[in-house]
Amino acid sequence: MIDVIEAARSAGVEWLSLYAFSTENWRRPDDEVAFLMELVRRAVRKHAPLLRARGIRCRFLGVTHPRIPPALAQDFADLTTLTGESRRMTLTVAFDHGGRRDIVAAARSLIRGGVPAEDVTEESFAAHLPFPDTPDVDLVIRTSGEQRISNFMLWQVAYAEWVFPPVLWPDFRAPHFLECLHTYQQRERRFGGVPPKQNGAP
Amino acid sequence: MSDTGDGSARPPLFGPGSQFHELFDDPRWAPAMIRATVLEAAHPQIGAALIDNSTFVTHPWRRLRNTFLSLQRMFGADDQVRAKEAARLNRLHTRLRGRDANDRPYDATDPGVRAWVVATLFESAVTMCRMSGRPLPPSAVEQLYGEFRAYHAAFGDEAGQLPDSLPEFWSYYDRMVEEELENTEAMRIILYKLFDHLPAPPLLHGFPTLWALGRAVVGPAIGAITVASLPESFRRRAGLPELLGAGALMQGAYLTADLARFLPEGWLRAQNVADLLALSPGSDDPRARTVTALQERMRRAGALLRLVAPTSFPAAPAPPPSGRRSAEEFFRDVLDQTGDGYLTWPDLAAMARELCGRLDLDEPAETRLYDAFADWWRELQTALDTDGDGRVSAQEYAAAAPALAGPALIRTAEVLFDAADEDGNGRIDEAEYRALFRTAFHRDTAGDPETRTDTVYTRGAFVRDFLSFMSGRRLSTPYDPLLADA
Repeated sequence: MIDVIEAARSAGVEWLSLYAFSTENWRRPDDEVAFLMELVRRAVRKHAPLLRARGIRCRFLGVTHPRIPPALAQDFADLTTLTGESRRMTLTVAFDHGGRRDIVAAARSLIRGGVPAEDVTEESFAAHLPFPDTPDVDLVIRTSGEQRISNFMLWQVAYAEWVFPPVLWPDFRAPHFLECLHTYQQRERRFGGVPPKQNGAP
Repeated sequence: MSDTGDGSARPPLFGPGSQFHELFDDPRWAPAMIRATVLEAAHPQIGAALIDNSTFVTHPWRRLRNTFLSLQRMFGADDQVRAKEAARLNRLHTRLRGRDANDRPYDATDPGVRAWVVATLFESAVTMCRMSGRPLPPSAVEQLYGEFRAYHAAFGDEAGQLPDSLPEFWSYYDRMVEEELENTEAMRIILYKLFDHLPAPPLLHGFPTLWALGRAVVGPAIGAITVASLPESFRRRAGLPELLGAGALMQGAYLTADLARFLPEGWLRAQNVADLLALSPGSDDPRARTVTALQERMRRAGALLRLVAPTSFPAAPAPPPSGRRSAEEFFRDVLDQTGDGYLTWPDLAAMARELCGRLDLDEPAETRLYDAFADWWRELQTALDTDGDGRVSAQEYAAAAPALAGPALIRTAEVLFDAADEDGNGRIDEAEYRALFRTAFHRDTAGDPETRTDTVYTRGAFVRDFLSFMSGRRLSTPYDPLLADA
């Protein structure tokens, strides 16, 4: 994981999101969930100083379920605090995340604020999503040969390019990432129109 | 007193040029104010009023700021401001009456009582100069007394409570000390409890250990210093302990405070100190930002320490479950303003008083707000006082907390909205919002779109927020700095 983060940073990527755990993953067997939690916790603690040194702002999307161990939540909060000032790259870790839930939360927030229906625009709606400063996603890499969205940042991936490398996530390393980046650069992005625009780095 | 005849212009009673104005920024006020407060509290009527109504044990910094603002208004050059402040204090005082533990009546509007408050302030000002070895010249004492008499007169009490001349004042003062003052509970609380439990001012909330350490050293010393500066005859009669060296410590403290006059001009301004103490971190004041930045750095250092420490390292106390606080915490932090462990009318009256002060309310808005709080109190009492002792304990509250948003509370929110909505446009705009909460809009990038949609607050959103705060359902709303901070 840290390998990929390093590769992205040196390739000039400014926004990187990782899907670590979905709201649906809670349905997995208890010991598997517990193992995953421990794995994430170890990774966070191990890499915290490096992430700080590299100027990577880390934040966690989701993280609301009461089943998240308090120690892990504390580590998440600590890492967010530790790297809060960094701006060279923003790493969003989606943990206990669900794209639909975020959209529902934004709708709730709008209704609570008493915003009249005709005042709701795509921009004003997006401002109520969690981490509203997140730009639209340019590229989604779905590893392990799976070809599903799996409820990931639904709003933000509207015009994303997708690549589906067959390699499994635990084996996914820097060269794989750069390969995906290269594939993306070859794509012609049209956003529904026909502008012959060349892709730059995301 | 008004007869001059020598042709020279008399110095003004208030504002620049007055003796009080000369002394205003003097750091010796700090020990002198504590001393004056102790002497006030030793008056049985004032002591009883303090015990019943005052929030100074739980919210000393808020109280200090309010006192400071009030003195500034009363002694400023502007007569209109003074008249308005005097009227406000008069209204406030009419609400402070009752009976003490021995069933003796107390009444904050009693002219004799108010004269005594003015007398302690004046006498402590004179004494602070004597204690530090730089007594005021007799003419200055005379002038200062005239100013304090004018301060007393501004309340509109009948004359004669404060003697006309200075010699008569001293015999009045000595008689009061000899005959009226008692070893009251309020006095003992100030001397022996307040400084040992003094909560950190809002700005230093991020440094609890540092604060507790400093307090453990300084707290008892403040008590000893204050006792040593009280009139000897009273100390004897009240049975206050004479600690070895306390006298020297006391004189040393006043001397040190006095030495601060050699600091460059503008370093010590009472205004700055009072502002600083009342600042909430996160407000838009540049000084708050400096402290906030420092706190941020401390927080990050703490976060790194926890992350690199071995996992077996005992984790920091878990933060409160996000956005909520327990009924007990809410009772202690917000509802029990007087800190006596029970919810009674004075607690709610203290909230109403604070809100009226913030919003600078005049009649009839002030009475409307008080009435709304009084109705809410009756509602709470009916719903929660299960053992019928006339007050609500923390247990009674916790047992029934979920069912708190009754019609009287909603009505309170509406009255508060009307009071805060100065221009009556049905929305609380930025300026009105600031007047109410006095901290800035501290919104980070993640934001909290749930609390506020824009820079305006609609009636519905306001009422809903107020209810969710007052029924203890949500933490970290703008009301926290208003009612929960010290």
